[in-house]
Amino acid sequence: MSAAPGTCRAADSAAVARGAYLAAAAGCDQCHTDGKNAGAAYAGGRVMDTEFGAIVTPNITPDRATGIGGWSEADFIRAMRWGIAPDGTHYVTAFPFPYFAGLTDSDLADLKAYLDSLAPVSNSKSAGAASLALFARARAAIGAAIAANIAPSSPPSKDDKIVRGSYLTATVGHCGDCHTPLTWLGAPDVDRYLAGSHGGFEGRRAPNITPDEKTGIGSWSEDDIASLLKDGGTPDGDFVGGSMAEIVRNTTRLTDDDRRAIAAYLKTLPPKVFTKNN
Amino acid sequence: MKLTLKLLALGGLLAITAAGSTAALAVDKDQVIKDRQALMKQQGGDMGGVKGFLDDKNDQATATAKATDLVDAIKKIPSVFPPDSGGPNPDGKYTAKPEIWSDAKGFSAAVDTATEKATALLAAVKGGDKTAIQTAFSDMGKNGCGGCHEKFREEIKK
Repeated sequence: MSAAPGTCRAADSAAVARGAYLAAAAGCDQCHTDGKNAGAAYAGGRVMDTEFGAIVTPNITPDRATGIGGWSEADFIRAMRWGIAPDGTHYVTAFPFPYFAGLTDSDLADLKAYLDSLAPVSNSKSAGAASLALFARARAAIGAAIAANIAPSSPPSKDDKIVRGSYLTATVGHCGDCHTPLTWLGAPDVDRYLAGSHGGFEGRRAPNITPDEKTGIGSWSEDDIASLLKDGGTPDGDFVGGSMAEIVRNTTRLTDDDRRAIAAYLKTLPPKVFTKNN
Repeated sequence: MKLTLKLLALGGLLAITAAGSTAALAVDKDQVIKDRQALMKQQGGDMGGVKGFLDDKNDQATATAKATDLVDAIKKIPSVFPPDSGGPNPDGKYTAKPEIWSDAKGFSAAVDTATEKATALLAAVKGGDKTAIQTAFSDMGKNGCGGCHEKFREEIKK
């Protein structure tokens, strides 16, 4: 495998493979691909309808002119963990960097190795926001500054499966991005972690995935949850649509063990009730 | 004065006729939506029957019967989405999106995809290899059922 221009070493194929798995688990290609117009994978261009206005996702192939080619590892880490671009500008939280802040150093390195291994694609569709709702932006900035956590902090579990499930759910999968309701400041409400939201992704409703019996998934078994993540099926014979169908395209690429880990973790969460105030 | 009375009477007649025809449509639409819900639940049960075989809860004969029923049920999908029949289902959970009619080509394509995947699932069930059946089942769930639900079904915000 030859070295990509600008790097001093050949890509480590094991790192690239691990990075590919992470990218699939996090679903990077879902947002960063213009699926509607058959755009190239990871080349950006998808228009997201957010509270900040219409935002076009950036190109994350290693194209030097229009993508992230030439980014150092430090640039990548800063963008993923803090939402700061190499030129010092800040991303809005339509990019879920508060969740990715929990990614480990080695996972970030693997992810970058994978993205660097992609063929550079030129995408001249300009990224960023066509018009940003200033109030929404200010509100999110204040909220992000105040909110210390996006998931409840709890003593680390002794069970490796739960630890893995927690990482996949709270960090990589950024499930709270849709399933945790926001406070009035626009920050995730940790007290109602994963308890569902009336206006989540693109304004759509996301259900309560805490183990509340009546308004959540308390009656679901671990197998039921893992099944949904595999093929979108619910215990009552339904198959998810809407935004979750897209997410199932990510989780279907996980290993069975990882899906079961997510399921096991969700079963340990404090049950919260989904109300009209979510 | 006489002209006004005539106009009033005409207006009244038109109003009654309009109300009458709306009422007639409303009854039909309710029935269509009930039929639609029943058809979808039937398909859910069919998928459940195949899953039961995968989970060793029932036998191949049952799974074959269910998978056969699924292919037949999908053929009926266009008939439960006649024009002007959008609206929430009896559970009040989901609604049929207007794109079903405004993007009729896309909807038709989604039905074709579901037919294709269900046919493949039936073949796999008949073949008996559980690994192959699982693959076909997941494909149907995600891309057959889920593919259509993703674009054409919406949760009702409460």
